[in-house]
Amino acid sequence: MNPGRFILEARDLFRTVRDGDSEKAIIRGFSFNFERGEIYNIMGPSGSGKSSLLRMFNRLDEASDGQVLFEGAEYQSYHPCELRRRIGYMFQTPYLFPGSIRENLLYPDSGLSDTRLRELITGIKLDPNLLDTDTDNLSLGEKQRIALARLLAAGPSMVLLDEPTSALDPGNTLAIEELIRNIARRHELTVIMVTHNPEQAVRMGGEALLLYKGELAEWGGSDQVVNNPRTEIGRRYKEKDCG
Amino acid sequence: MIHYGLSQVLMSAALVALALIIGRWWKIPAGKEMLFGSVRAFIQLIAVGYALNYIFDLKSPWLVLVVIMIMITVGAGAASGRSKKLAGSFPITFAAIAAGSLITMGIMLVLNIISLEARYVIPLSGMIISNAMNAAALTMNRIVSDIGSNRLRIETALSLGKTWREASRPFMQDSAIAGMTSILNFLKTVGIVALPGAMTGMILAGASPLEAVLLQIIVAYMLLSSVTISTVISLELTVRRFFTPSHQLKILK
Ligand SMILES: Nc1ncnc2c1ncn2[C@@H]1O[C@H](COP(=O)(O)OP(=O)(O)O)[C@@H](O)[C@H]1O
Ligand SMILES: [Mg+2]
Repeated sequence: MNPGRFILEARDLFRTVRDGDSEKAIIRGFSFNFERGEIYNIMGPSGSGKSSLLRMFNRLDEASDGQVLFEGAEYQSYHPCELRRRIGYMFQTPYLFPGSIRENLLYPDSGLSDTRLRELITGIKLDPNLLDTDTDNLSLGEKQRIALARLLAAGPSMVLLDEPTSALDPGNTLAIEELIRNIARRHELTVIMVTHNPEQAVRMGGEALLLYKGELAEWGGSDQVVNNPRTEIGRRYKEKDCG
Repeated sequence: MIHYGLSQVLMSAALVALALIIGRWWKIPAGKEMLFGSVRAFIQLIAVGYALNYIFDLKSPWLVLVVIMIMITVGAGAASGRSKKLAGSFPITFAAIAAGSLITMGIMLVLNIISLEARYVIPLSGMIISNAMNAAALTMNRIVSDIGSNRLRIETALSLGKTWREASRPFMQDSAIAGMTSILNFLKTVGIVALPGAMTGMILAGASPLEAVLLQIIVAYMLLSSVTISTVISLELTVRRFFTPSHQLKILK
């Protein structure tokens, strides 16, 4: 294990995709060092590449150019499945497998002990008696929590959350934010979370990164980036001028 | 024993006439197809009869093999044409059908169930290939559409550290069943709901029912083996097209 300060280091990342007959760069020269145990908020207008960046960090998509280091070692040096267990990714619309909550929580690791299972479900503030409930009958907020617990079942040291509250009402949004902060603290997780809502970034604390057209436009403490942007793009984003 | 000749066939054209009259009276909008279909069947079958007569005289096992390879190629082309959702599927259907039929025929030859003579090998290959062809086409269409409509589920599994094989397993299993349904149903109903054409033919040609039945059992087992092999191979090769070596779900247009 590398005891270094940075858990994830992105160096000059590019991702280009086919766009009709031509190629289009959706991530352009992204470089950033993520510190262990910190919370990062990825902000930016719709289409700026936030989801694309997280997918690359989970290696669901391949970078076209550049390099990512996890724990000081190149991404390619890990088996992709091993890497994904250590850097979990939650989709914007989480998918639960047909079956019970228990089956979903056991999905990453069927050998999970009963004690761990109960810890996971109480960790997301659900009643352990619900373990055998079918996931079809759950509310959106409950589904989001279970997806979060299922992510933790794989034992990651870092999680990537794509707009984890975008489908939730204000009450549930605050509850999930609280849950993410607690879990991050308890599991010493590094969290990279996409948010479309600057106030959410401020509530989550930590650092914020502003993406614009695939480039990293501004970064710093969340409060600073949201309330006192230093760049032109940051100011325009604040004035809702470039969404 | 009636000996079948051209005169009986011409007499049986009365049945076509009956069907045409009913069709006309009842206004079935397929009068032309009924007529042309009957003529076409006549021409095709006569042509095949002459071809088989010629082929059955082939003494060289290599020539028999060449004929079989041509049949496999034609079957693979038809199966590939029916899997429109996957571009460039011919190599897959060819490999699937070739493996299913050659392995099955090979085992039958080794076990001395049949001998390497055109009159055994060619008709049995025909049955095997047409069944393998249907199985490969159905399997491929099913897996292509299942993967297409379950991307989020598959990527969720991958994102949680599952391999491409684990992530696509439920769909591979469903698709295997889709490819094998008709042979499984055949095994259930054979002899009860209908006598297979081959068996009817044997009995009409003078074989004893028991002999016909024994051959039919062999045919059923042979089809089960070839369909299973073709289904598995077409699945294995098709699913790989959708994933990168790094267990990523590809974007196919
Ligand atoms: N596979 C793809 N093919 C073509 N374009 C894509 C692909 N994935 C993403 N894009 C495009 O890349 C841009 C960034 O997308 P995304 O990362 O989803 O943005 P965000 O999450 O910030 O809204 C968008 O313009 C989107 O249409
Ligand atoms: Mg997005």
